[in-house]
Formats: sequence, structure tokens, C-alpha cells
Amino acid sequence: MLQSIISAVGKIRVLELHKATKQLFYIRRFATVNTSSIENHSSVKDASDHTNVRPPRKTVNPFSIKDPPSADGNAAPYNPAISSEEKERRLKVLRLEVDIANQEGRRVPSLNFFQKYHWEHVLTLPSKSARMKYYGFLWQVEIKKQAKLRRKEEKAADCQERLEKLREEREQNGHIIYGLGHVSMFLRIYDSTINHWMNHRLIRAMQYSPKMVLDCSYDQYMTQREAENAAKQLMLCFAENRSHDDPFDLHYCNVNLDTPCMQSLQRYIPTMLNMDFPMNVHQKCFTELFPKDKIVYLTPHCRTDLVEYNHDDVYIVGAMVDTVNNEPLSLAKAKKLGLRMARLPLDRYLQWGAGSGKSLTLNQMIKIMLDVRKTGDWRKALSHVPRRKLYDQQNECTRGRNDLQKGANRVNVKIGSIMEVEDFTEEVSRLRSQRKKFNVSSWGAKKKGQQGS
Amino acid sequence: MNLNKLLKWKQINHGILQTLFRSSSNFKRQPLVAKVDQLAEIKRSRFQGRSDMTGLEWSQLREFLINNFKHINRNNVDAVIMGVCNESQQLQLAKSYIKHLRENGNEPNDATFGKLLRIYNSVYHARGGNEKSLTAEEQHEILEIYKNIRSKHEILDSISCENLIYGLVTTNNWKEGLELMEMMKITASPTLPAYTEMTIKAFRTKDIVLGWTLLEQMVELRKQPKCEIFLEYINAVSADVKTLTAELDRLFVFLQTHYLVITEKVAKAIVELSLNHSHILSAKLTNLQRFGKCSSCSLHLENVSLCDNDFYKLQNAFLDKVLIRNDVFQKSTPEEVKNFCEYVDKTGPYDCVIDGLNVAYSMGSKKPPQAYANLSLLLFQLASVVKYFNNKNKHVLVLGRKHMNNWPKKTMQYVKDNAAMFLANDLSHDDPFLLYATLKSGQRTDFFSRDFMRQHAFLLGPDLKGIFRRWQQEHQYSLITQTNSGKIIVKEPIRHLICAHKVKDRWHVPYKQQYEQHVSDSFEVPDCWMCIQLLQKK
Repeated sequence: MLQSIISAVGKIRVLELHKATKQLFYIRRFATVNTSSIENHSSVKDASDHTNVRPPRKTVNPFSIKDPPSADGNAAPYNPAISSEEKERRLKVLRLEVDIANQEGRRVPSLNFFQKYHWEHVLTLPSKSARMKYYGFLWQVEIKKQAKLRRKEEKAADCQERLEKLREEREQNGHIIYGLGHVSMFLRIYDSTINHWMNHRLIRAMQYSPKMVLDCSYDQYMTQREAENAAKQLMLCFAENRSHDDPFDLHYCNVNLDTPCMQSLQRYIPTMLNMDFPMNVHQKCFTELFPKDKIVYLTPHCRTDLVEYNHDDVYIVGAMVDTVNNEPLSLAKAKKLGLRMARLPLDRYLQWGAGSGKSLTLNQMIKIMLDVRKTGDWRKALSHVPRRKLYDQQNECTRGRNDLQKGANRVNVKIGSIMEVEDFTEEVSRLRSQRKKFNVSSWGAKKKGQQGS
Repeated sequence: MNLNKLLKWKQINHGILQTLFRSSSNFKRQPLVAKVDQLAEIKRSRFQGRSDMTGLEWSQLREFLINNFKHINRNNVDAVIMGVCNESQQLQLAKSYIKHLRENGNEPNDATFGKLLRIYNSVYHARGGNEKSLTAEEQHEILEIYKNIRSKHEILDSISCENLIYGLVTTNNWKEGLELMEMMKITASPTLPAYTEMTIKAFRTKDIVLGWTLLEQMVELRKQPKCEIFLEYINAVSADVKTLTAELDRLFVFLQTHYLVITEKVAKAIVELSLNHSHILSAKLTNLQRFGKCSSCSLHLENVSLCDNDFYKLQNAFLDKVLIRNDVFQKSTPEEVKNFCEYVDKTGPYDCVIDGLNVAYSMGSKKPPQAYANLSLLLFQLASVVKYFNNKNKHVLVLGRKHMNNWPKKTMQYVKDNAAMFLANDLSHDDPFLLYATLKSGQRTDFFSRDFMRQHAFLLGPDLKGIFRRWQQEHQYSLITQTNSGKIIVKEPIRHLICAHKVKDRWHVPYKQQYEQHVSDSFEVPDCWMCIQLLQKK
């Protein structure tokens, strides 16, 4: 496929095709938007009054949960209405706190590191320990920044020297210079070309591929840090979907652009809400977009495994990072809406290790679903689960053996004879290689008996 | 002989290895030990036995620290050095460092002075902690520092306040520390060390009222008072023999209301006190025999039953706070909750409520039972428990889940015939149902489960949590094991109080070995108790 692009004619053809399908696509989309909805639910890409990037009207989503729940009834959300004087006084004390802690040598950045938005966030934190943890994080950021600056200066010095040397050599050299940037047989392929090609494929996927939904309605349940992690994962979902051979038609539903998660996502993908960017962002709920009997909600809290991938179903993944909050929110939502539920068949194909929990990130989920759709083989799809989460038999065996040795040493027992590693694998491979000794006379012969079975 | 030993080792290790590999569930980062060790190294090598260092040596030390440690820079090197000289005999070193700084023209910053105040505090305590511990000059210096820092800022942050309190308690102006504590409340709750220092000073200067106020505040914020506070209190009240018994009584009532457990140090101090005043006080270290009988006075400890008021509060709040909360779909569905309430009204009240799945899986099978043989074994346990209660003619309710309908029919039929049974959806949590049914049936009903119910205790909120724990202690049976002949061994609930309380005229007070800052819920009876008799003079 790349070859076709490299030839100049092919390139132009691809671009034309891309433009053509874009136009087709937009006509088709407007048709569905105007006819399907009775009340004017404004989807984000409403072409008629599209003057700026932000959507004109915010619709009420009947299925989004409005009030943030609290752990026990006593803790009120920490946002009492405070006057600006009160705020100033508080800020003054907090600044002093940071200053003193910094002077004492605690993990707190210096005062001039703090920006306005840092202080805004600090004011929302409920307790001193929460503040100290946040300061610790900012301290790490500051130290990394200083280290980066230092290394950059060192590198700049080295780079200057190298460039000088290279320039001298070049002047003395009278021949043609072969290499990237000079004379080369490779055509330079720009990033934008690849982007156009991938976008074209994505737009074709929007017309013909099965749909996948990312449900972004869990913002009130996530902390600031989790929301930013979720935004990064959402961005990675989009990127990985786009670069796969058979992309899904990815829809981001229940999007509320004021939340920290969505604002971070807009920072990652600034052109997210543009007309010509192939990303489906909806403020509506997925139940308004797709029929309920086709929807399957993927949640880790239910009991039924997803046995077989169905190409007609619309699968939903809840876009939530649940490190802090481990309530079964996606399960509750699916139950309330009366949707079918499923979870990935992790236990059937993988042996989970004792280390990290059984949670997968959003981009890992999308990768798994993409591969399941393409190959139908769960083992291949579940190879996207990070290996560190799984049971490492080799490691556990050696660890067990070492512990046993230690214990035996303590009671002065010799267990060398029993601990001899009976390594069958080496033996087997040796035998196999013996059997497979190369024999010219029988090479290429139809008879299989001579060569190793 | 060797082989036997080895086999035994293998067995033990296998068990240990299993627990090792399965117990770690959270990834824990390595604690930052390296830097602290290096500073301690410096402390030993350079400061050992010295009381003065020349200006050159101080400058060298400063440069060394700044260059070798990434987290130390010109801003915080002073306070770090002061922090390293934190032992009471290094006061002279600290003073010489400050002199050196002043000679070089740098006025030490607020944090450095704060650390100096802490050193003064440790010197004060090391020298006996009375008015003559620090010289008048030193006390004057401390007050100067205090006035200086106080004048710079209108509201101080909690770290500076704590440092200043440490300094103030060594002087006569310690009452200004109360203002500082109020200031601390603006940005954080006052820290345990601040409370400890102020309370100790209050008791030392015989201001008992203030001491008690501070103690009450401390416990309100759920901080555990340190043993030094109690020791100081005992010292303070032992002077006046007339009010001694009343004051001690007040202390024990305090321990009872807030479920506090004193340490061995305090217990021994009370015993010593009783030896000095044996005509009005007798205290002995003792332990408990079966059924809560004290070894020394042979009285049985009080029953742990809740008063009716508390029980009704718990009963009414339960369903809403634990099961329904904000979204009933997280734990169950509305229809199921309704069905269950109707069922309980219809077939209750019960004598015992059994958590079917918890009992069935009590033998600890880690994988869900696949083989038929395993299933029948589980069910056999459940049936045995039902039989145990049946033999005593008690009406029971068994809670389970819908998949139990697929369990072997004959034994299930036995359970269904001899007990009321409710099967919840496979996706619902069954523990809240269990507790609700038990509570609804009245104060006499028990429940059967090995679960500690920590999640439900937390969800009830801090005021109901204590009540819930006491009720749980009185009513929870748990299955230990089942013998081959079909008999079951159960752990009966603890029917007597395990906090400090009075039986007739004797106080029984539990104590523990060491002070803990964060106390977790205990489900066992304390081993060590004190039996105290306060004799009135009249």
C-alpha cells in the first residue's frame, strides 16, 4: 500500500479520493442528523452554525449522573462559597506554608515555581496531607525540569563541537555527499501525507466498519490526576484505532467539554472539534445514537464473559480511570439502562499474577477489540495485555528455589542433591538438533521419515 | 534424619511461599531510605562528641551538602544542618552554627529558627522539664524568636505554629500556644505533637481544666493521646490525696467513652501509685479467664448489649446508608430490595441469619468449585450449620445467590425445608441484606459469617461505626472448621465489653504493650487487663 503512495501519481489519486469521500461523507452525515432527531439535539459537528470551535448549546443528558457522590454522608464537597478576600488570606497562608516547608528541605517546590493554575488546584484540596502530596508531585516536576535544563546545556555544548568538526570535513571534501538530507534515493514522506492517508482510512471506516463507543460520563468520579490520565488514554485510543489496519468507527459519547478530562483531551488533540477532523464527539448519550438491542456494555464487574465478537453489536467501554474509586459504576449504569453486559474472557486465556490489579487501560481495550475483530482469536488479541501483570512462572520458580535454599542454609541442611536443576528443555533441543543433522542425499526428497519428525 | 528435616522445611516453605506470593496485592514503591542514612552518616562522622566547629568547617560542610545532595540547595541547607543536630547534647553545636551564619551576614531563615526551637524543646525535656531546665538567657532568646516570627506574618502556617509551640512550652509564656493552635486550625487540624506538648505542659503546671479541654479536643479529632500525657496527668493528681480517687475515676470514664487503650507504661505507673496510696487505691495487673471472668476479683465483666436507643438508630439508618446510598444499582436493584424487605416481614423474626456463601466457602477453596465432589462438600457444611441450629429449635434464614439453585438438589432441599431461604441476584452484594435481616429481627438475633464487615462499618459513618462494631462483636458467630464426623466448630461471639468499664465498684481497664498512632479495629479480646478498686475515704 505504501508503494502506491510513493509513486507520484498514486499520491495524487489518494488525496483526490480522500477529498471525494470527505464530501460524500459530510452530505450523508448531515442527512442523518437532520432527519433522525425531532428536537434539535445539537451534535458537536453541526455545520449550520459552526462559527467557532465550541458547540452552541448544551443539551441536558438524561443519563448522566449530576451530583458527585460522597463516600460517607458527612463529607460535603470541598467548595464552600468563599469571598475573594478570604481567598486572598488563605492563599497568603498557603504561600507561607510552601515557603517554610521548602526552607526545611521537605519535598516542596520553591515559591517561584507555582503558577496561577497550581494555586487554583491547591485551594480545592481538602486537607493538609492532600496538599503535601500535590506539592510532592510538583517538586518532582521541578527537579525533572532542572535536570532537563542541565542536560540540555551539556548536550548543546557537545553538539556545537560536533557541528564544527563536520563543517570542517565537509569543506575539505570535494565529492557528492550521499545521505538523508543531501543526495538520497528515498523520497521524503512527510507526516502530513501519512496523516491524510490514515484519516482517509478512518473516514472509510466511519461509513462501513462496526462501531465502538467510549462513554465519557464518569468525570465526577475521577480526581484531577485520574482525569488527565483518562484524557491521555482517550487520545491513545484514537491514535491506535487510526493506525490499525481495520479501524473501528469510534464514537465519544456523553462528552461534557467543561470537565478537566475533556479539556486535557483538547490540549492533546487541539483540532478535535474541527469539521474536517475524523473524530466523532457527541454530547448525546449512546442510547440516543444506537438502538438498545444492539448495545453491549463492557464492564469488568459483571459475571458473563464475552465469548465471541459480534460484528453487528455496538460495544461500549466506560472511559474511567478507577484507581481511587472502585465502585461498580459501569455495572450500575448498564443495569439502569437495561443493556446487555459482558466482560473480557481474561480468566479463560490468561493466568493473572499477584502483582497489579486486573484493570486494563482504555487503549489496551481498544487494541484488544481491534485484534479480536480482525483475527477472531482471543489469544492473539489478549497479547496486548502487558506481560508484567501475568503470572511469571520462571521467576516464581527461581524465587521459590532461592527461598528454599536460604531456609536450608539456616538449619544447616545440604539440599544440593535435590536442587539439581533438571533442565529438560536443553536436553530436548539437543536431541532435536541431533536428529536434524543435514543430509544432502535426502534433502528435498519427498520422504519425510529421514528428517526429524 | 536430614531428609525428614528437609521434607518438613519444604512443607513449611510451601505454605509460606503460597502466602508470600498471594498476599501482595498492591505495588508498593521503595521507601526513600538512602538519603536519610547519608545524613545520619554525616552526623556520626562530623558531629560526634563535638560542641563547636570553626567557621571554615561549617562553610565546608555547607558546600559539601549542596554539591552532593540534589535536594539540598542554598535555601534549605541551614535548616537541614539544624535538623541533623537534633539531639539535646548538640545544642552548643547548633548555637555555634547560627553564630557562624550571623558572622557571614546571612540572617538565618524562619525554618532554621524553628528547628532551633525544637532542639531547645528536647533539651528542656532531657533536663527534667521544669522551670529551671533552661537558663533565663535561653528562655529570653526563645521568646525573642517567637516575637520575631509572629510579627512577620499575620496568620502563620501549621509548620511554623508547631515549631513555635515546641519553643513556647519551655518558657512561662506557654499559654500563647493556645492562640497558635487556633491559628493552626485555619489551614490544617492541629498536629498530634502540638497537642501533646501543650497538654503535658498544662498538666505539669497543674492546670487540670485546660489539660482536659485539650484532651477532649484531641480525641474529637480521632488522635490517640500518647502515654506521656497520661503519665503527666497521674503525676499531677497524685499530689492532692483528697481528690485522687475522683480524678482517677474521671480518667477511667474518659477511657471508656472513647474506647481508648492505655499502654503498659501507664498501667505500671498506676500500679506504683496504688502502692504509695494503698488505703484508697488498689490496682493489680491481671488477665481474663473464660466467659470474661477476672482472675483477681472473680467478677464477670459487663455485657456488651446496646441500649435500645442506639439499636433503633442503627436499625433505621442501615439500609439507606449501606445498601441504597446514592445509587441502588451499584449493589442491587430496587425490585430486589423491595422483595427482600417483604420476605423478611413475612417470614421473620429470625433467631439466626446465615451467610450461605461465606459458610460454604469457609474451608478456603481458592478456585470456584468445578467438580461435583467439591460442591457437595461445600453444601454439606452449610447443611451442617443449619442442622446445628435446627437441633436447638431455632428459626434461621439462609442468604445466597441465584446460582445456588444449580447446587446438588437433595442437600439444597434439606436446607430449604429446615430454614427460610432468600437468593439474591448473582450480581448483587449479599452482606447488606444479611445485616439488615439480623437488625430487623431484634436485639436477640445473631448472624453467621466470617466476614469482618469493614466496608459496611465505614459506610455507616463515624458516629454509627462504634455502635455497629459493638453490636457486631456481640452477635457474630463464625465457622472455624468442620470435623469429619459432621460436627462443626464455631467461634462464639464475645459477649462482654472489651473496653475500660466498671463492674460493681471495680474498674477493669485493658492495656497494650506499645503506643500506636493509628489504631485499627480489633476483633480479639485484649490479653492484659488491670483490676482497680477505688476506695472512698468515708
